[in-house]
Amino acid sequence: MKQCGVLLLVGWLAMPLPAQQFKFNLDHLESKASDTVDVNLNGSTLQFAAKFLDDKDPDEAKVKKLIAGLQGIYVKSLQFKNDGEWSKTDLDNVKNQLHEPEWSRILGFKSAEEGETADVYVRTENKKITGVAIIAAEPKQLTVVNIAGAVDLESLADLSGHFGLPKLEPPSPGKGKKN
Amino acid sequence: MDLEKELSQALRRKEPSPDFAARVAARVAAQAAPVVMPVTKPRVFAVPRWLPVAAAVLVVIGGVGEAAWRRHQGMVAKEQVMLAMRITAGKLNHIQTHVREAR
Repeated sequence: MKQCGVLLLVGWLAMPLPAQQFKFNLDHLESKASDTVDVNLNGSTLQFAAKFLDDKDPDEAKVKKLIAGLQGIYVKSLQFKNDGEWSKTDLDNVKNQLHEPEWSRILGFKSAEEGETADVYVRTENKKITGVAIIAAEPKQLTVVNIAGAVDLESLADLSGHFGLPKLEPPSPGKGKKN
Repeated sequence: MDLEKELSQALRRKEPSPDFAARVAARVAAQAAPVVMPVTKPRVFAVPRWLPVAAAVLVVIGGVGEAAWRRHQGMVAKEQVMLAMRITAGKLNHIQTHVREAR
């Protein structure tokens, strides 16, 4: 019995820590959602998936380059049929975990007219980027993304030219950011 | 008549010829083959000839099946990655567009 306990403890200690860098805390909204996308990919799954990404396909080649060395990608996107299915508290429960000095908000916008907000956060450790978080909220949609690991922000921003999305020119330096 | 007499004559003891014993011994030696007890393997260890072939076929099928399963798992993982990236790219594009419009 004692040996069993020791084995369990050793097994628990040997378990890899989850790579997800903050909790999404959105499970309680899933029952209200009409569509839910839940993607949980740890580092080993990402590297396994990378073997199946085609270098000849521009989108896949871009993604393959981006996910090399990542520790995980976690996405939860909830689509609702009606407005008001989620509250500001739901959003705050996520945002409150992304605080200084670990996390910095680098980009975001708020549209009172459309009832829409979106923020991009970057996690840094020893002046190195170790994670990215995206929180996007619309009246009928809530999306949270966590990319864990050494993210190349330029490659990430460059995704806009892929997946059928229009290519955006890089922002000119020196201009202030919109909050 | 002399049935009794004939009978007793017919059944009277007759001495064999002097070489009788030697001839019998020689014939026995010539005809008798050595008795060999058949060696039968226990049934438990009797392996049918087709069994190794069947095992090899199963191993090959298993290997092919596992490779197919791994490939399937890989394709599922790839689709998940692409879905996650599509959502991320869409959101980033949306945010960047709004931020630029506001500038």
